[in-house]
Amino acid sequence: MRPLHIIACVKVVPKPEEIRVDSETWTIQRDGVRSEINPPDMNALEMALALKEQHGGRVTVVAMGPPTFVLYLRLALAMGADEAYLLSDRAFAGADTLATSYTLAQGIRKIGDYDLILCGEESSDGATAQVPPGIAEWLNTAQITYAEDLEVLPGSGMVKARRELTGGYEVIQAPLPCVASVKAGANEPRFMDMERKAWAEAEGPLTVWTATDIDVDPEMIGLPGSPTIVDGVAQAEASERKREFLAGTPEEQAQALVERLRAYL
Amino acid sequence: MTKSLYGAQEASAIWVYLEQNQGRLTGVSLELVGKARELTDGRSIPLVGVLLGDQVSGLAQEAIAAGADEVRVADHPLLRQYTTDGYTKAFTELILAGKPDILLLGATPNGRDLAGRLAVRLRTGLTADCTDLRLEEDTGLLVGEVTGFGGGILAYIKCPDNRPQMATVRPGVFAVPAPDGARQGKVVSVPVNLAKEDIKVQVLEHVDGQGVDITRAQVLVAAGRGCQGDLALINELASLLDGEVGVSRVPVDEGWASRDRMIGQTGYVTRPKLAIVCGISGAFQFSVGIEKAETIVAINTDAEAPIFEQADYCIVDDMFDVLPPLIEAVKRARGGNGGR
Amino acid sequence: MASQPVDSVFLEDATWERVDKATGGAAASCFQCGVCTAICPWGLVKEETISIRKIVRQAQLGLPGWSDGLWLCTTCLWCESRCPHEVDITKASLGLRRLAWKERQVPPGLPTLLWNIYFDGNAWGRPPSERPLWAKGMAVKEFAPGDEILLYVGDDAAYDRRVQKVARALVSLLEAAGVTFGTLGEREPSSGDPVRSVGHEEYLAEMIDANARLFQEAGVKTMVTISPHCYDMFANRYPNLSGGFRPLHYSQYLLELIENGRLKFEKKLPLKVTYHDPCYLSRRNDICDEPRQVLRSIPGLELLEMERSRQDTLCCGGGGGRMWMETAGGERFSDLRMREAAETGAEVVVTCCPHCLSCLEASLSVVAESKLRVMDLAEVAHLALQGRTATSDVASRRP
Ligand SMILES: Cc1cc2nc3c(=O)[nH]c(=O)nc-3n(C[C@H](O)[C@H](O)[C@H](O)COP(=O)(O)OP(=O)(O)OC[C@H]3O[C@@H](n4cnc5c(N)ncnc54)[C@H](O)[C@@H]3O)c2cc1C
Ligand code: SF4
Ligand code: SF4
Repeated sequence: MRPLHIIACVKVVPKPEEIRVDSETWTIQRDGVRSEINPPDMNALEMALALKEQHGGRVTVVAMGPPTFVLYLRLALAMGADEAYLLSDRAFAGADTLATSYTLAQGIRKIGDYDLILCGEESSDGATAQVPPGIAEWLNTAQITYAEDLEVLPGSGMVKARRELTGGYEVIQAPLPCVASVKAGANEPRFMDMERKAWAEAEGPLTVWTATDIDVDPEMIGLPGSPTIVDGVAQAEASERKREFLAGTPEEQAQALVERLRAYL
Repeated sequence: MTKSLYGAQEASAIWVYLEQNQGRLTGVSLELVGKARELTDGRSIPLVGVLLGDQVSGLAQEAIAAGADEVRVADHPLLRQYTTDGYTKAFTELILAGKPDILLLGATPNGRDLAGRLAVRLRTGLTADCTDLRLEEDTGLLVGEVTGFGGGILAYIKCPDNRPQMATVRPGVFAVPAPDGARQGKVVSVPVNLAKEDIKVQVLEHVDGQGVDITRAQVLVAAGRGCQGDLALINELASLLDGEVGVSRVPVDEGWASRDRMIGQTGYVTRPKLAIVCGISGAFQFSVGIEKAETIVAINTDAEAPIFEQADYCIVDDMFDVLPPLIEAVKRARGGNGGR
Repeated sequence: MASQPVDSVFLEDATWERVDKATGGAAASCFQCGVCTAICPWGLVKEETISIRKIVRQAQLGLPGWSDGLWLCTTCLWCESRCPHEVDITKASLGLRRLAWKERQVPPGLPTLLWNIYFDGNAWGRPPSERPLWAKGMAVKEFAPGDEILLYVGDDAAYDRRVQKVARALVSLLEAAGVTFGTLGEREPSSGDPVRSVGHEEYLAEMIDANARLFQEAGVKTMVTISPHCYDMFANRYPNLSGGFRPLHYSQYLLELIENGRLKFEKKLPLKVTYHDPCYLSRRNDICDEPRQVLRSIPGLELLEMERSRQDTLCCGGGGGRMWMETAGGERFSDLRMREAAETGAEVVVTCCPHCLSCLEASLSVVAESKLRVMDLAEVAHLALQGRTATSDVASRRP
């Protein structure tokens, strides 16, 4: 087998607590909001780097988003990724998961020679978990969602992983190339190496591709390529703790509690 | 515009994916049938359940009793276990033959695995992990409510042109309808074209239940010094709620519980949907491990315990007095719910 | 290199360079006398103590697990105070930790700690927007250059509900003394102490740079910190913060206020207390008298001393990043310390470090038979100011 090439897809997401809905325009305010690399994507990146340590090869990170994402891709380089690509174009804006997975898949095709594509299980902002299966479909590869303990079986060209299910798990094996979405918390992402950070900032191999660079059908990207539309947004009720004291005898308290917990029972 | 494989003019009916696991219907499938029944009320939209598996037609009646008009059953030995490849292929053929207007799936791990793949194969839109559904009054379009940004934002999403309009729905947001044994419905067996080569992945092992991992638990029942080493009621409540037992540092120190159950700064950071915290004072080093819980219940004899500042529902009482009636009340509530 | 290490079998080959570089040469003058290993407080709770000599050697050989013992070190400085060759042992052990970061031999939890600081600006991974919440309901304003002091709250007092009470007590004292002060609110950065104490020197350098700029731009002159660890950072590890910049631990500042007659305790506080010296104040910065003098200025208060006090204090176990690593039951220095405190017959053990406060309080149950409570110096002073005698609503709750 040639050296392993792993592509990790990352997204930059606003910190959940920073998000506000503009009460006049009913749009989500993202400007000037503190962001981070989507936490499960950090797990995917860590998995990629650990596999590289084990088997050799290289790790490429790819993201779709505005030019500001460059900063975060450098963090990925500082953690140990070999190169980074940012798919950035106004035409990509407003993409839903169909258009996003298509765009990323085209970017990945252009990067080429991939064995394993790792994504986080879902993003903390959209929480759809659809992009990884979408990429797998566009690229016509096998997929393993909610993966942990992923092993590359050298020689056989297979990967094996444990998949988390409701109340259980399964262990499945799939041929490379393969797309896997990595379970949040599957590992602890390593901290950056500051020497690498300096390198990433000065001369890190970071390429920005626009729509014309990656051979996309303009009708299939961004807003036009997105079959779903957002019909409105609202701010959910504040997440502050309710601190409701339940009164009465233990029996009454128990009953009152169960009534409040219906959704979980 | 990315075109779906068929258009709105040809589409009709609401389909619900009846996810089964080892020959048992998942609770969320029935919840969806119940909700879909409600959506179709007053409109003449057929409600069809779709069942994939190996010798699973026996489950069809359950979906009919819950409100389905018809159940299409795709039976095939290669569908015995869920695989993305097998299920996507078989399901796509069913969809292209039946052309549903709406397709609902439970947002379980496998439901989401399947939905994400299907949506792209069908070139259609998918609203993921909905917390509510409705049909738009004038257009009849499906509108899904989703939460984003860690639950801080609600968005309403629809898919005007592409078909089917797909949505996955979070388990537990709708009730399981009371079964009506007298309901009649059609059970249609549909042909399946599947060959071994269609399936690239191989399931090596399938396990229900798993080792202790409190970081994954959806429900945590936690005990601290207040339990005085007696975890019997805590264990009972946790298993009743399909949850895990967690502890503060004290029970670990005292040898009442193992280290892998310890919540907190130097234990595990957990993010359950529900945490019931008993006999724990709520020191900061404990709290950092539980504060990401969606809902926190605290039971403590000390009304001034800091844990109450961080709880949604507070019970100032002895845990040993509250837990027995709580366990009974949960049993009663679950009895009416049919269990999940 | 000052003097050649004796153990030439190991110390002269190329592998030595890697270790010597990481530790900045700190271990080079070690004569292998073993004094440090013998005195390390881990010997009080464990069979094996930290042997910096052994770790250096194992590191040099790159033996698997070479770094395991290294992470126990609380950087309490006890060993260093006794080393006949003045080896900068904490420098060596932090340097070795730095090497361990490079070689990814780090205990679980610590990378997350650093990411939390990187993305959220605090060790707890909490939103910066919640940083000022500790002062809810109090009139604490943003710092302005005309203010007498900048109150540097720190991560613990900002987010830990227990330590928030200390910050609030301190604010009441400052108000009573008529001090004009402010905080940096949401902009307040982490001092970098957790980063330093887990040995990530490169990241620390980046933080110090950015923070120093922030303080300079804000026009900070006198800065008062709640935590001795933050004090140590600002006093000793911010080289570019000179020129009129005066960092103080709050115990020092309270004493100044008392000596200038701005703060006066007139009512009696009949309380028997013992004082636990935080290592980062006493051994590391020679601040032993100031907190005691503050206590002595409270009429009616009786100060009892523990056997190990001042420069000879016993570490609570929370330094050196140990707050983010689990210490098994039975191996906690704070358990021993609470017993020592109880033996004095004091009602309250007073300290003035958030880590000490957390550790000592978590060990209250080992002295369950006594009436001992744990309080912070600011809380005792605030109590004295109010003229209240009941400690029940201020001190830690009994287990
Ligand atoms: C460095 C460090 C790290 C730490 N890490 C962790 C950590 O990761 N996780 C952790 O949990 N702790 C940790 N701790 C310890 C922490 O500070 C607390 O000491 C600990 O969480 C207290 O546990 P507790 O609430 O069970 O006990 P206590 O604080 O003793 O509280 C017991 C509570 O039970 C209540 N109670 C008693 N009887 C009953 C009854 N019959 N019914 C109802 N309520 C009753 C009491 O009112 C009291 O509030 C750490 C401490 C330090 C210093
Ligand atoms: S006390 Fe000093 S000289 Fe002696 S072994 Fe320790 S570090 Fe070396
Ligand atoms: S600094 Fe303290 S804990 Fe660390 S080796 Fe020295 S005596 Fe031991």
